[in-house]
Amino acid sequence: MLTATSLKKIIQNRVVLDTLSLTIERGKITSVVGPSGSGKTTLLRALALVDPADQGTIAIDNDTFTFPRLPTDTRSPYPRLTVVFQQLFIWPHLTIRDNLILPLNGVIDSEHFRHLTELFQMTPFLDRYPNEVSIGQRQRAALVRALLLHPTYLLLDEVTSALDIEQSQLILSHLREIADTGVGVLWVSHAIHLAAAISDHILFMDQGKIIESGTPNMLKTPRSQRLKDFMAADIFR
Amino acid sequence: MISTILRILIDYRVGLWAGLLTTGKLCLIIWTTGLMIGTLLGILAHQRPASIGIGLKTASFFLASIPTIILLFWAHYPLQELLGIVVDPIVTAATLLSLVNIVTIAQMVRTAMDDFPAQYRIAGTVCGMSSRAILRRIELPILARHLIPQFLTQQVNMLQMTLFASLISVEEIFRVAQHVNSIMYKPVEIYTTLALFFIVICLPLNVLAYGLKTKFTRNLSEK
Repeated sequence: MLTATSLKKIIQNRVVLDTLSLTIERGKITSVVGPSGSGKTTLLRALALVDPADQGTIAIDNDTFTFPRLPTDTRSPYPRLTVVFQQLFIWPHLTIRDNLILPLNGVIDSEHFRHLTELFQMTPFLDRYPNEVSIGQRQRAALVRALLLHPTYLLLDEVTSALDIEQSQLILSHLREIADTGVGVLWVSHAIHLAAAISDHILFMDQGKIIESGTPNMLKTPRSQRLKDFMAADIFR
Repeated sequence: MISTILRILIDYRVGLWAGLLTTGKLCLIIWTTGLMIGTLLGILAHQRPASIGIGLKTASFFLASIPTIILLFWAHYPLQELLGIVVDPIVTAATLLSLVNIVTIAQMVRTAMDDFPAQYRIAGTVCGMSSRAILRRIELPILARHLIPQFLTQQVNMLQMTLFASLISVEEIFRVAQHVNSIMYKPVEIYTTLALFFIVICLPLNVLAYGLKTKFTRNLSEK
């Protein structure tokens, strides 16, 4: 279980994470939804220890990281915890295949590689460079690169934001299969309708706080006015 | 004309060869110091922007504002007069042109490192790669692809700048060509020979730089 407790982060005198706590369970999909600027991506980056919180703790199974971290604390949560960012970050000098293989450090499980690349329909473009494939194909490459590392917790930041409905469907349909293998998935999105469809647990965030949380059913009877307003503005509902 | 060129090459082969060796020697010094010290200085300027970085930027503005030929004259006459020393012109030319090359290369390296997209490093980190592996497999290859074409073009420029050394009496290829012209007065043939020499050296380097730039730029830009 990944448990974040009382995470607080201040950027330029603005509280962007306000003593926020959450849990990501293995085998479950947890979605963080909310409007732009609500702190979703900041939360994901804090959970990923890329931009650590100013205060609070993150316990990844039996490993607890307390913030601010001591300079002597060089423990790394990667790759058992890994991230797929919205901007993808595919290395441009390598083919898609090499992008997938490089982090494996020479230890390649061929069967796992073949399974994932076929599952995400990547075989036709494995030997192309990132500039020669579409954004949807790069998106899948970033996801498969993370999955090949056998993560225990996978954090996804708006991974379907630039995709059409078919490509989003392809990725989301496999998220459940990934979770079912015991991976704890945190999916950050502004698309509340998609979150409701695939998640076990939903957190609604605004202004650096979790306003409401629960199963997707909570969206049928939202308690807070902010969530009601947000859902009313969702043109895809 | 071709027969005259061939005659020049045969009759003045000793002088031309000596000039060529001097130009080669100058280039070797300028290129080696520029690439080695310049790269090192660029890395240091990136790591210490408040001290070495500012110093490098100041030197770069200074050198970019004054034509190299003026600097060369200044280093050859007034500076030596001020210091009360006499330095061999080839040493003056090699030192000054090396300095220009060092600062230019350092600025290229520093800019490339400053502008290196942090996300590529972060992607490596969250994939569990070590800092060393990220440097070796991600940062250096991307930086090299970006910098090598620029380095090649800069070294061609420096080769062409060695011609200025003739103005402070360095017996390099251009000065030898001027001597030959003063003896036989065949400017078209003599300077055509010189142009051919530069084409033979510079054209492949320029083509290589262009080819690398086209190839690597293509790979770095996403749709």
